[in-house]
Amino acid sequence: MSVASRYRHAVLSAVALTLAAAAHAAPDLTGVWQITGHMGAVKTTDGGAPPLTADAKAVYDAHRKAAAKGDYSFDGVTRCLPPGLPRLMLMHEPFEILQRDKIVYFVYQVNRLPRRAYLNEALPTDVDPHYLGYSVAHWDADTLVVESAGFDDSTLLDNAGLPHSEDMHLTERYQLSPDGKRLRLTYTVEDPKTFTKPWSAQAEYTHLTGYQIPEEVCAATPVAKRPRD
Amino acid sequence: MRTLITASFAIPALVLAFSAIGDPRPPTLYNSGDPTLTLTPGLRGATAAPKGTPAGNPDPHDLEGVWWLTGYEYLLGPEPGVPPPLKPQYLRILERRIRAKNRGTPEADASTQCLPHGMPRVMESPYPIEIVQTPGRITFLHEVAHNIRRIYLDQPHPRHVALSFLGNSVGHWEGDTLVVDTVGLNDRTFIDDEGSSHSTQEHVIERYRKIDNGASLELIMTVEDPVTLEHPYSYRRVFRWRPDVRPQEYVCEENNRNAPVNGVTVAK
Repeated sequence: MSVASRYRHAVLSAVALTLAAAAHAAPDLTGVWQITGHMGAVKTTDGGAPPLTADAKAVYDAHRKAAAKGDYSFDGVTRCLPPGLPRLMLMHEPFEILQRDKIVYFVYQVNRLPRRAYLNEALPTDVDPHYLGYSVAHWDADTLVVESAGFDDSTLLDNAGLPHSEDMHLTERYQLSPDGKRLRLTYTVEDPKTFTKPWSAQAEYTHLTGYQIPEEVCAATPVAKRPRD
Repeated sequence: MRTLITASFAIPALVLAFSAIGDPRPPTLYNSGDPTLTLTPGLRGATAAPKGTPAGNPDPHDLEGVWWLTGYEYLLGPEPGVPPPLKPQYLRILERRIRAKNRGTPEADASTQCLPHGMPRVMESPYPIEIVQTPGRITFLHEVAHNIRRIYLDQPHPRHVALSFLGNSVGHWEGDTLVVDTVGLNDRTFIDDEGSSHSTQEHVIERYRKIDNGASLELIMTVEDPVTLEHPYSYRRVFRWRPDVRPQEYVCEENNRNAPVNGVTVAK
């Protein structure tokens, strides 16, 4: 690189950084977080159960019936498959956010799963299904908004066995408390094949300081000890 | 890689030319002369970004982004085709594993059971690696088997380290070189794909430095193991900056459906 272009690069970088700083005084969510309390079946913000269609309710009831007998074979997590979303956000194991200018990374203790939300990009209209979908994000003032689609329909939506289809569209809104110690998630699920109408629910996380996420390897963990909620 | 192989078949003269100027050793275990010890040939291909990709970021302390190893060696010794300086009993174990693989009945290693690849092998991957830098931390997100390495900067290893597949890593900068020190490795993995053994006393030191004005990342890997090795040894690798690549979801547990083809990971 010539001296001139090196200089140009430096100036452009400085301008870009200044613009980025001016555009959003976004809070820094970087750190290790753990859900507060225990999430079983999700409850919507209205206090009720998610409004399942008749077909989806039959699937859910079958899951609950099997689980009551201790049969979790419907749950890929027992075979070390990724838990899917939003369930991964509702599990007890901590996760880590690494916040950068172009990408926000969520890295979970659960089987070391990574998730990337690409900032300021449109959600592609035709995404191949993946366990953790495809995520884009933007800052809405001090709220990180993550939009995801392209979900494999074999995963469960919550720890109790709530199903979803490949058409699920997930919106997550993350807000940091003023003291930086708590993170509030409000998420909205739209999936007309599974639910009669969109619904929202909440979760809250506590900041863990001084915690180094250990290497958790599902394939090295006995089936009975694999985390599933 | 597929392009390279096709080209090689199409232009035998070129292959001869490469043979003449390339590595004169056949891909057998160095000095063995034993055909049952034939090594799987390494992949020697560039993984350069396609034309039009932005040039690398020259800031020597900014390692962020997606990097892709150039080539792939099945044996991670001091140079291609040469085994690590294993003590005689461990060299015999390596030879046993190579023979088993050549018979079509390879000994199962950690990665075939969806366990992390261990060190230094995890850095020898034909899949991309994304580096993320946050205060006090450098994180390596490997596409392969979603391996993750957290490197804690400017601090000592904890006094008591629980053994793990990828160990405990701390790092610091020496000028423009990132030095990463890793201990606490369990002995369930191999040093390399062919099956060189290491013990829980393995100690790995990596030195990363940007070269080519930021388009490449050089790694000097040093491996010590007083149990399995006669002496420490080092080798050099080069990664290419690949801002055009987005790491994909890799699910070993369902027999991963995505694989790199000509430098881009695609669904199979």
